[in-house]
Amino acid sequence: MNANAVSLEAISLTKVYVRGSEEIKAVNDVSLRINKGDFISIIGPSGSGKTTLVNLLGCLENPTAGELSLGSKSIFGRAKYLSERDLTKIRRETFGYIFQNFYLIPTLTVMENVMLPLTFYRKPGTENETLRLLQLLGMDHRKDHLPAQISGGEMQRVAIARAMVNMPEILLADEPTGNLDTKRSAEIVHVLRELNRDVHLTVIMVTHNQELARQADRLFEMRDGLISELKGQDRSDRCLQPLSP
Amino acid sequence: MQLSIFFIRAAVILVFIFILTGYGAAWGAVGCDLNDPDRDVARLFPESTGYKTIYTSVSQKGGDRLLTKIEKRLGDKFHGIYETIDVPYTIYEIFAKKKVGYIHGVNQKGQFGGIQVFLVLDLDGRIKAFYIQKITSQYAGKLRDAKFGKQFVGLTLKDFDHYDVLSGKASGKVEAIKNPAPQAEADFRAALRATKKNLILMDEFVYSQQSASSNPGVP
Amino acid sequence: MITNFQVAYKNLLRKKVRSLLTIIGIALSAWVLVSLLGFNHGYETALNRDIDNMGFQLMIMAKGCPYEAATMMLKGGTGFRYMKGSVMEDIAKEPEVEKVTPILMQAVFDPNKGESGGIAGYFGVDPKSFVEMKTFLKFRQGHWFADENAYEAVMGYEAAELEQREVGDIILMPEKNIQFKVVGILNRTGTQDDGTIFVPLKTIQKIFKKEGEITTVGIKLRKDANSARLEAKLYNLPNVQVVSLAQVKETIMKLISTAKVMVLSIAIIAILIAMVGVINTILMSVHERFQEIGILKTIGAMPWDIFKLIWTETLILCSSGGILGIVLALILSRISDVVIRSILPYAPSGGLVLIDIKLALITFIAILCIGLLSGLYPAWKAGRIRPLEAIRNETGR
Repeated sequence: MNANAVSLEAISLTKVYVRGSEEIKAVNDVSLRINKGDFISIIGPSGSGKTTLVNLLGCLENPTAGELSLGSKSIFGRAKYLSERDLTKIRRETFGYIFQNFYLIPTLTVMENVMLPLTFYRKPGTENETLRLLQLLGMDHRKDHLPAQISGGEMQRVAIARAMVNMPEILLADEPTGNLDTKRSAEIVHVLRELNRDVHLTVIMVTHNQELARQADRLFEMRDGLISELKGQDRSDRCLQPLSP
Repeated sequence: MQLSIFFIRAAVILVFIFILTGYGAAWGAVGCDLNDPDRDVARLFPESTGYKTIYTSVSQKGGDRLLTKIEKRLGDKFHGIYETIDVPYTIYEIFAKKKVGYIHGVNQKGQFGGIQVFLVLDLDGRIKAFYIQKITSQYAGKLRDAKFGKQFVGLTLKDFDHYDVLSGKASGKVEAIKNPAPQAEADFRAALRATKKNLILMDEFVYSQQSASSNPGVP
Repeated sequence: MITNFQVAYKNLLRKKVRSLLTIIGIALSAWVLVSLLGFNHGYETALNRDIDNMGFQLMIMAKGCPYEAATMMLKGGTGFRYMKGSVMEDIAKEPEVEKVTPILMQAVFDPNKGESGGIAGYFGVDPKSFVEMKTFLKFRQGHWFADENAYEAVMGYEAAELEQREVGDIILMPEKNIQFKVVGILNRTGTQDDGTIFVPLKTIQKIFKKEGEITTVGIKLRKDANSARLEAKLYNLPNVQVVSLAQVKETIMKLISTAKVMVLSIAIIAILIAMVGVINTILMSVHERFQEIGILKTIGAMPWDIFKLIWTETLILCSSGGILGIVLALILSRISDVVIRSILPYAPSGGLVLIDIKLALITFIAILCIGLLSGLYPAWKAGRIRPLEAIRNETGR
């Protein structure tokens, strides 16, 4: 076991979707332990349940069954359903999110986009780190630009800055490089690595890109709702093999 | 920023509209209009098919400079508290397919009340009809009689050039106009002054403008 | 830090034309509402002013139709019947009465007024008591007649202007062919006095052979007098009718109340239509930003934060439209005045549409409240958006 404190622990997490008469187990009895400061990649074919798992870990929705703890605090326990309001409270304390489509607000400048979370909530004890974050991510010279005036890679940096403005403990990145070219993709993952190293940020990244996935400290593979951690030779082999559809 | 620019422009346009609609809404001197223009135009100008109403004043057309010119031509100053530079004048442009003439009235101080004298004019400024819409006098009937008005038909401003409104001395065709009510000499002279003033105003407002536009080189 | 207001304002700028059209819709309904309320206020104020400017609160007239007579009085017409002047002496004894003044209105036909002739009216007044009642009447030229038997006239501003009369000129009473010397011309008052020719009462009684008779008694009440009690006593006088100008006012207000109700209904409908426009605009905006709202929730916005954001957009639209409408009403109040005046059977002199700060504020608050009510549903709907559904859903279904 890792000597660091446990950041996130999932026990038998399950998510079942019902479509008509069919039941789909998107996440099937998944248990994992993520330590503080881990950089985790989850790979797998489309429909394997990676995004659903990350959504559960990130408290974006309730599981059908299973438990989730944040540190020593139980989030999803036995027969415990949290309201949207409760989920939001947890999310804004602990998580930052970045997505494939960036989702910046088009009418706000780069600076305003990054500051936006502070309009709704500022974590007690934190200072307004907006400018410092932009500098860190190399976007301070674009702070007055609109999203339409910057590149895809720059937009994702802004999204990262926005996700970080309230100093979350865990950053969830769902296909963060999905809309970027190779060079920009590498830059983004490099940024995530630096954040992970410099501020001890726990990063959970979902990606198709095996090359990028290998840069994580721990690599997981999901197939048909089931998860397994890839270690040693398995990790190298798996990363060289194409993912089956 | 763009929204505020829009609002500024809209405000300017609205103020402009307000000025335009407010303009001419006089709270001042009284004018001289036909009591029932539809009926009166048809009666005074039988061949007419329609009319257009135009409002003007001496202050609008030329101000003090024009007033001085009119007074000189009239041979008398504009009097008292009612004959002022801002009195509104109503000119009825008469049409029978095309413009065929004008009707114009002026207020004139009479012996016992205001006299309203209307002239019906052709395009050359010749009197086609003479009409007193209002007069207060025991002998009003005689001055409003068609026989009296007929004496003015065919006269022009030129005929009134030598009529002295102050002394009443006349020559030529104006001298030939007979007073049907000698006891109402003041009102008779007032009617003549009103006629001369009417013709001068029409010359300044309409006829001289027409000749200026057809002879642009002539000052 | 970026504020809620800034985010909302910038959201509205995304679709400038749509936002502008919504604001214009609200502005038009605000214009109608404030003009109508201004008319209510202005009409009553102008009517009160006209009535106050009569100088007396009650009139006694010979029996006939009171409302027609009263309205004709207000328009400067004549009464129909006569009463003895001694009636006035009885009335003056009443404790509620401060002053009385006798008036004899007469009219003659002037065949030389236009094509079909016209009426020339004269008010015979007592030079002492009438002048005491109407102290606010100021002269442009001259003064009141002093001799109650003189053949002198005081002319209202417009009457003098029409006749081109100045002090020292002579006027002729048609039909009777009697001359009066003009001794005074009043300043413009904005009331029916402007078109009136005043002559001494005794003179006009003599001319029309109505010695000792009058058509009207004007009564000024003592301060704090009980008008209703006096009216009750006066009703007992034989062959006279009491016209309370408060009643006249009430009657006239009733006459136009139907028009007011109708216009108020139109104003309410206009506001409702504008508000439906607001709901539609905001709902469309929420629909278009479905995913974006989901993202806002992932970055920490609570349902209440989203609700506030959407509601703020409604607030901006309604307050902008409300202010624009009020400004429009202020600028175009003269046009509104002309339009209303052309429709109503009786319109007091002076401005009919009176818009003051208080009225503008009431209208603004009303528009704001109705607008915020309209914004409730779209804001609630936006607050309920679940982030994951929104992020998954490209089309906002």
